[in-house]
Amino acid sequence: MTKDQLPGPYPRTAEERAAAAKKYNMRVEDYQPYPDDGFGYGDYPMLPNKSIHERDPWYQWDQPDVRRNWGEPMHWDFDMYIRNRVDTSPTPVPWHTMRNHFLIFLGTMLVMFALGEIYPSYRPVGPKQYPFNDLYLEKGGDPDKEPPVVMHYKI
Amino acid sequence: MASKPPRTAAEEYRPNRYVSLPAELDPSTYDTSPEKRRAEAERLAIRARLKRQYLLQLNNPKPPAVIEDPALLRWDYARTHNVYPNFRPTPKTSFLGAVFAIGPILFWIAAFKTERDYKEKRIREGKYERPFSVF
Repeated sequence: MTKDQLPGPYPRTAEERAAAAKKYNMRVEDYQPYPDDGFGYGDYPMLPNKSIHERDPWYQWDQPDVRRNWGEPMHWDFDMYIRNRVDTSPTPVPWHTMRNHFLIFLGTMLVMFALGEIYPSYRPVGPKQYPFNDLYLEKGGDPDKEPPVVMHYKI
Repeated sequence: MASKPPRTAAEEYRPNRYVSLPAELDPSTYDTSPEKRRAEAERLAIRARLKRQYLLQLNNPKPPAVIEDPALLRWDYARTHNVYPNFRPTPKTSFLGAVFAIGPILFWIAAFKTERDYKEKRIREGKYERPFSVF
């Protein structure tokens, strides 16, 4: 590929824009480079941030797994928008609604769990009462000696 | 006082970086003006030309070993070789570079140094119990 077919610097004049649009196989009206902020995009076209999921699954693409035709300009983040990765398809519920519902639920649950940790609430309990003089022999007490009498309750 | 005009479905939906507007709510779907048709026709012409180029190579009785895609090569070149020549230090790039490139290095230098110094001080004072010690 010759130098003029490869990406170059940001187009400044209208002729450079037209040449860049022709280079990338785009209409001059469709061609929109990234803003010249010094980030290194050059004259690469800024395509809409839509993932491959949104493309027609029934059309006969040249490359069906990435739903792309030969020669079509690729999105800068093409490898992010493949079908295994980021999906920007429209959702049945608006995104802000989903976000709010999720955050309200998560916030409520976290607040309730935090309150439950700070102010625990359970039925009153006492220490566990073991039989056989508080398990004197099982705990390794001397079998010849008289164990200390442990009385837990009297009926 | 006049009431505001009712919000359109597209405004209610509020597409953002993570979800696109559904085609049903997009006014351009229902746009049948001649300008749009001419634009679509031009795009179709470009697409058809590229398709023809591709199919000629694909159905060639002696096809090349690899059918090169210039768009793919341009994408690759743009993301690897074309970034530095078009990079320019601006306030925004300098700030981002400081925060995301230099910041973590300095942070972890400081974090490791203070942690190791604190541990060394405890060892010198004899207050440190070695974990997993075999003694």
